[in-house]
Amino acid sequence: MNWQATLEFARGPFFYAALLFMLFGLAYRLVTVIGLGWSKDRVPDKGSKAAGVVKTFLKALLIWPFIPWVKNTFTKNPLIYIGGGLFHLALFTTLILGAPHMLVWKSLSGLSWPTLPLPIVDWMAAVGIIAMLMLLVNRRINPVLKLISGPAEYLSWLFVFLPMVTGYMMTHHLWFQYEVLYSLHMLSVDVMMIWIPLSRISHFIFYFFARAIHGAEFGKRGVAV
Amino acid sequence: MTATKQAYDTLVHETGGWVASQLEACTRCGMCAEACHFYQATGNPEYAPVWKVELLRRAYEQRFTLVGGFKTMIGVEKRITDDDLKHWSELNYHACTVCNKCSMVCPMGIDLGSLLHGVRAGLAAADMVPEDLMAAVNKQVKEGSPLGMTDSVWDQRLEWVADEWEVEIPRDVKGASTMVVFSSIEVMKFPTNVAAIAKVLNAAGEKWTVSSKAREVVNFGFYEGSEEHTKLFINRVLEGARDLGVKRIVVTECGHAYDALRWHAANWIPEANDFEIIHITGVLGELVGSGRIKLKPGAFDGQGTITFHDACKIQRKGGHIQEPRDILKVLAPNSFKEMTPNREESVCCGGGGGVIAIKAADAPRYAAFQLKIDQVNSVGAKTVTMTCSNCRLQFTDGVDHFKLDWKVTGLAQMVADALVE
Ligand code: HEM
Ligand code: HEM
Ligand code: SF4
Ligand code: SF4
Repeated sequence: MNWQATLEFARGPFFYAALLFMLFGLAYRLVTVIGLGWSKDRVPDKGSKAAGVVKTFLKALLIWPFIPWVKNTFTKNPLIYIGGGLFHLALFTTLILGAPHMLVWKSLSGLSWPTLPLPIVDWMAAVGIIAMLMLLVNRRINPVLKLISGPAEYLSWLFVFLPMVTGYMMTHHLWFQYEVLYSLHMLSVDVMMIWIPLSRISHFIFYFFARAIHGAEFGKRGVAV
Repeated sequence: MTATKQAYDTLVHETGGWVASQLEACTRCGMCAEACHFYQATGNPEYAPVWKVELLRRAYEQRFTLVGGFKTMIGVEKRITDDDLKHWSELNYHACTVCNKCSMVCPMGIDLGSLLHGVRAGLAAADMVPEDLMAAVNKQVKEGSPLGMTDSVWDQRLEWVADEWEVEIPRDVKGASTMVVFSSIEVMKFPTNVAAIAKVLNAAGEKWTVSSKAREVVNFGFYEGSEEHTKLFINRVLEGARDLGVKRIVVTECGHAYDALRWHAANWIPEANDFEIIHITGVLGELVGSGRIKLKPGAFDGQGTITFHDACKIQRKGGHIQEPRDILKVLAPNSFKEMTPNREESVCCGGGGGVIAIKAADAPRYAAFQLKIDQVNSVGAKTVTMTCSNCRLQFTDGVDHFKLDWKVTGLAQMVADALVE
């Protein structure tokens, strides 16, 4: 097999095709959801919707959803919070503050920023991989998670796990030639991008809707979010 | 399959962008399960809130998403069947009080309570409401009240309360500013509450009245999830208010009724906004805060620890969280003690959402109440007070069932007993 050609394909045409598919797919889903219509809320407010929205975002942006704000909910299923939190932290750190990834953002947007040294990014990646394994085990053990998980949930896990592992293997030159690992990394990233709009991984878009709704619902009643 | 079709159509109808964006946000993380008292008490994974809304999600996915459409076409997506409806009817009506605690825990902030109400709408359209609950709804349609409080019963009971406790209960007073609508739970089971509220309003010099047209505030259509019935019962209240020309409608100690009237009515019936709709807890807070009524400080101190149970529809979903605390700090500054968790994070009593009206739901209901028992016992309270008669019904029943030695009471009653003339 010609890995050089594979790599060029996976970094080139396939990458851009997958990227476009992801962007259009997400846009399509956004538009269909918004297109379902939003009825006006005529109920008079007691508190302030806007204040509720601002507060809930301050309390729960990005990594904060993984802090168990509500009492007595952490003790019985702590892995979800710990694993989920560490996984997302690792994901965002490597994707935004890892040097090779920053260069991708730069080539796409023109903006650049300082990055973290490789060993730190590397450790974060390891943390992310371990956290994802924890999440998978938990999904197989916890009776609620078992019940609500179908093939799609496991595929989502897999398609995010593969770039994490291949990325890690690449920086450590594990087992295979660099081109092979790089190709695998890029192929898995491309597959993930195609999968995102088809699956629940698009939660990162709808998160902003649900959070805003939460803030508005609690805010309008004058209840702490 | 007509039942299924009706359920499906209603579920689809319930799904605008507001609902859809939240269904899409769910990551299937399962955190919401830990919030649900029914899951906590029984460990039954099917009681996870996310699983209870599964029907709504399936209908949405099949009807509105490409992936869902494709999965249905190739046959990997499960269609909703009559058996599913029966199964989810039990999950939703027997083991959910629509208390919305789960929405506080969901990392995505999904307003699960509203989605769960949507599921009920689908089940109601398919005639999949548990028999006991449906019988009560039908009774309210026909007789005006699910608890048999017909015109004449209402008439006699109020007369009797006025006599027995020597309070004036103004009736059908045109031009009064406030119309009070009692719940049949109070009129039939906790008449002291009716007397107490009357006494307090009279002491404050409020121009108030009850209406023989709007005699029942309880809304079993809202429990059921049927828009048609909910609107019918709301309209009865609004008509009474319109006839008397009042400015303000006071909902007494009933949670679901308050949720329906205060937080939903105007979206179905815009004229609801012609009136200020407020819960009696808000009124009490106002009267005590402004000094229009005076309470004997410490009136309830020295009788053992008193704790306050937050009702899901009045506190978490109603916003009247601070008033009861302010009042209790006057009534029992030394013996009032909070349970944990409390306020908007409070644990539901387990009897709301119509659950207490369903005999077949006794097992999960008592199981859930045990969480409440632990909470109350851990502060060592001998008296539990609250602002919802439906909770109070659950507490009195629970105290009986588990042979507890607590005193169960209502906040309005405590206020009335501590009035300084
Ligand atoms: C606004 C940004 C985001 C927020 C608030 C967020 C939040 C969450 C939450 C709360 C969970 C459930 C917790 C858990 O399963 O442990 C979750 C799961 C997940 N998220 Fe995110 N996320 C975001 C962005 C992303 C992105 C960008 C990706 C991937 C590209 C992603 C991939 C995943 C995956 C794969 C899971 C499931 C993990 C499992 O199998 O349990 N998330 N996310
Ligand atoms: C879901 C997670 C990940 C995504 C979406 C992702 C995405 C990408 C993309 C798009 C590139 C392309 C760079 C290019 O074409 O020039 C890349 C390169 C790279 N990635 Fe990742 N990556 C992920 C995780 C990781 C992890 C966890 C590591 C290891 C710490 C890693 C290490 C690398 C390295 C070293 C390169 C650059 C290879 C080179 O330029 O020689 N990646 N990644
Ligand atoms: S609304 Fe309350 S009872 Fe219903 S699923 Fe959520 S936490 Fe459980
Ligand atoms: S907590 Fe929220 S995101 Fe997680 S499974 Fe429940 S509804 Fe879905």
